[in-house]
Amino acid sequence: MATTKSPPSHSLQIHRLPQSQYIDAVRFLPAFSGLDRFAVLALFDTHSSSPSLQIHSLPKSTPPSLNLQSSHSLPKSTPPSLNLQSSLSLSSRVSSLSLSLSAHKPLIAASTFSGSLHILLLDFDASVQSEFSVPEKSLHVGAISCVDLQESGVECVSVGEDGRVNLVGFGDGSRLTYRRVWDSDGLVSYTAAKWASPTEFATGGFGFGLQWWDLRKPGGPVSQFKGNWAQRTTSGIVHSIDIHPSRKHTCLAGGSLGTVFAWDLRWQQQPIILSGVGTSEVATHSPCESEVWEVKYDPYMQTSNFGNVSSSRILPAMLCSEDGILAVVEQGEEPIELLAEPCAINSFDIDRQNPTDVICSLEWESIAILSRP
Amino acid sequence: MPGLTADSGNALVPLSPEAHVSVVYPLHHGLKPPISRLSISWSRGNALRVSVFRELPAESGDSDGEAGGKVVQVKLGVADGEVDDAQWRRIAYGSVSPFALLQSRRNSVLALSKMSMSSSPYHPDWWEYVMEYSKDISSLLDNAKSLPNSVIDDPKTVLKKVEEPTCLKAAWGLLEIFYADKESQAWLPEQIVDWLADYDILFSGTQATVHSKLVEFQKAIVRLQTIEDDPRYWEVITSALAVGWLEIVVKLLRLHGSYQLDQLSNRETENGLVEAVAILISKMPRMRPELEAGRLGECFKTKPDFIKAWEKWRAQITKLDCSSFWVQCDHRQTRDGLRNMLQVMLGNTNNLCTSTCHWIELYISHFLYVRPFTVGLESMHALAQKCIQLKPISSSHRLMGLIIGILGENTEEERDNLGGISIEELHRLVYAQVLSSHALTWQIAPIYLTSCMKQGMGLLEVLLYKQPVQDNQMLLKTTEICRLYDLESISSSIMKIAGVYHWKHGRKGSGVFWLQQARDEFRLNRIAQQLFDFVGRSISDESFKQWEGLIELLGSESKIAGGLDFLHKYRDFKKSLQQVQVGKTTDAAQQAVESLISLMRNPSTPQRFWLPLLHDSLKLLSWQERPLLNVNQTNLLLNKLQELSMARLRPDFIEANLPPQALSSVRLALATNLGRAILEE
Repeated sequence: MATTKSPPSHSLQIHRLPQSQYIDAVRFLPAFSGLDRFAVLALFDTHSSSPSLQIHSLPKSTPPSLNLQSSHSLPKSTPPSLNLQSSLSLSSRVSSLSLSLSAHKPLIAASTFSGSLHILLLDFDASVQSEFSVPEKSLHVGAISCVDLQESGVECVSVGEDGRVNLVGFGDGSRLTYRRVWDSDGLVSYTAAKWASPTEFATGGFGFGLQWWDLRKPGGPVSQFKGNWAQRTTSGIVHSIDIHPSRKHTCLAGGSLGTVFAWDLRWQQQPIILSGVGTSEVATHSPCESEVWEVKYDPYMQTSNFGNVSSSRILPAMLCSEDGILAVVEQGEEPIELLAEPCAINSFDIDRQNPTDVICSLEWESIAILSRP
Repeated sequence: MPGLTADSGNALVPLSPEAHVSVVYPLHHGLKPPISRLSISWSRGNALRVSVFRELPAESGDSDGEAGGKVVQVKLGVADGEVDDAQWRRIAYGSVSPFALLQSRRNSVLALSKMSMSSSPYHPDWWEYVMEYSKDISSLLDNAKSLPNSVIDDPKTVLKKVEEPTCLKAAWGLLEIFYADKESQAWLPEQIVDWLADYDILFSGTQATVHSKLVEFQKAIVRLQTIEDDPRYWEVITSALAVGWLEIVVKLLRLHGSYQLDQLSNRETENGLVEAVAILISKMPRMRPELEAGRLGECFKTKPDFIKAWEKWRAQITKLDCSSFWVQCDHRQTRDGLRNMLQVMLGNTNNLCTSTCHWIELYISHFLYVRPFTVGLESMHALAQKCIQLKPISSSHRLMGLIIGILGENTEEERDNLGGISIEELHRLVYAQVLSSHALTWQIAPIYLTSCMKQGMGLLEVLLYKQPVQDNQMLLKTTEICRLYDLESISSSIMKIAGVYHWKHGRKGSGVFWLQQARDEFRLNRIAQQLFDFVGRSISDESFKQWEGLIELLGSESKIAGGLDFLHKYRDFKKSLQQVQVGKTTDAAQQAVESLISLMRNPSTPQRFWLPLLHDSLKLLSWQERPLLNVNQTNLLLNKLQELSMARLRPDFIEANLPPQALSSVRLALATNLGRAILEE
């Protein structure tokens, strides 16, 4: 059975906010205003069968320094709440959500299961300033599996199970342009994508496969990672990829069987396994046994010992899983379990401005907001 | 459907007569008329799936740009007005963990009792666990919003404002009293008194109740100058007393005008009588372990202690009733009102009957003042029947049905008409079916189904097979449930379905993946043939990059890939051939030859690839430096070529897309090589 260090529970604050709608994805908006912070929820109302995108404001948690004078009493922060700011109805459910800042204004890219892509440019008050969309059947045949916006927000990569890789740009700000980078004609399906640099990105798919793409070298992926590494007995799917801005040579991936592994481009076919039950060696360290739906580097954990981390060591990462686990895994360390829910945790995001805070969506129609000490 | 209602006697759940009312559900299909055909089938739960087909103009086909048909869902029935869908799902989600805990405790308790060979199947702690479960569920049934409590205690507010409770919670409360709370069985009547105090409001909707009378009076109270002159005051006070709401009664009594300072001197006797009754009421003996702070009465845990106190209390009431002070009290309404109250406390059935509205209120008053020791369902049922006769109900409330059901039925009895399953299993199955009928709650159903020994697993299999396979996330959620309950065969069937689905929709890689996961060699072999056709057409040196990913997915030949391991070898061969083109070293060429021979030896290499393979290798067959193939190898290839020539005569032979002289140039190259090889050996 998995072993985990449990965090000092008295200091971890967890708030669950029921939504009465299924949450397909949740993200924090990158901070653009000093006063408020916002979260974007992709929702699906089963009663009316209507999907929507909602932007909610949520109060910032009080920084620990402000609580010093009342250190003996409980911190008197108000419990977080979500306050609806704006809502946009969509024609299909959201399959993937990516956010970035473009000219200091937040940009949201939402792909749908029917294959359309919606790009929203927000104003400073988090209202929708303009909306662009690419209709279904233009980018992909069927659903778009994943979209990822560049940090600067100039281009968006989209991948699908149809085997296509597309780039959507909105250079002049008035309309979207798109071009096909690759079409594997369904021979390979892509389920995840993440930018590494303005010209490079990684994709992931079936059989724990990863691909590295360089726009300067067209005609297919420049490098491929074979998922069927030696000790594996069973295969799986990559659901999520993350790439750290300071470690562009390493691709972090999460997928089936509680698997989180890192692919270092400099050591091509030797993955560094952080978690997973498919391989014998790390099985005892695996915080979960089921699908890892999302994985992200955890900026909160790295601050503690960033100085003495060599560049080959994988930075701590957070994952959420089908078996209801939200945990932080670190190379050679016991995982730290933050949440163990009776239902799946389908997506999460870490507040980049305030990395103590994590927002996640639960299968049972609710949002959980965590505040780490 | 008249046929169904006719024989509803055989149905497990009898159909209600309201089903006769016809309801019109408008369809919003948005199609251009004319509509030629409708097809109706059941969807999830009580939803219908209606497929609407348009009649297409014969000549133009579907060129008018309009959809030829549409599928719409129609939800039948109306939601329970009390608990909306989202709230209902919240309750369903919240009750999973308590149920899982109870089940695991049950298993460990059963294991313990087996070990100790004790005759009782349950541990003494068991009922504590059951109560814990019941309390957990009950807390989920609370209304989310509660009214803030007023800080200032207004003496004229006799009835505290509370959020209207739900029938659901009231029903759960009853079940808890009768079935779960075994510790408090001795104090059952008092528990029902408390229950009615909480839920009497629920019956006010259909008829007058003590609660509704109080609400009415509360509205009037501020306008009354001398409250004791109003007959409603005494009526309400006696009613509240009859159902045991002692705190309200005492509070109302203290509003009596004789308590006012300016009146106290000339209404001394009257005030003394009012206060005497108030004190008697607040000292009422109650057969229960405890009372919450602020509630009136004196608690007695055991029957002998209670009987002693009860007799003493009644003696005090009788003594007061016979007191000479009544003659000295000249306020008629007060005198009559108070003596009426004494009659209620003495259990005068006529007084009880007139001061209560609903039969359940009369029933409660009997427990309080006539038969405080009523025990056993049988006598409780008889008493209920008597009360219903005295106060017939005009319209039945669903909670009444539940009460009568509990009192009238012996649930311990085994029943034959349930298809061999226990009533516990029946209820769990019904609940699981309700959960299964919603896209968001079906994932909870397995935990209840697996706790049903007889029919649970069968229904779970059906449920899992019904889940959609189109979306990977959904599919993985389904297979995760299979993994949790060790249903590997179902999981692999589902993955086979998914594999074929993706394959058919052009997602070849994803199709192969799911079939591999399902270890379905049969289908992998089948699709391998189609894949080879595709390869034969599309594989050129440039497009090979497209294939790379799929071949990676197929993995090494040790893995299950059906005939698909050919692709893997073919790729290796093509790669080494490319090396030869670039480097032209003999070593690389020798390696390419090994690949070629291994491909030609492999039985899974399709025949139609033989000639293209050999044609691709012409350069190797006529290598400048030395013959790369030895005699045996050359003979093998020549034999294959011979076999191919024979096969060409068969009508189903597929000619490779090669130049016409391909065969002869290969034959010539092989013959040359053979000659050189013989010389070398």
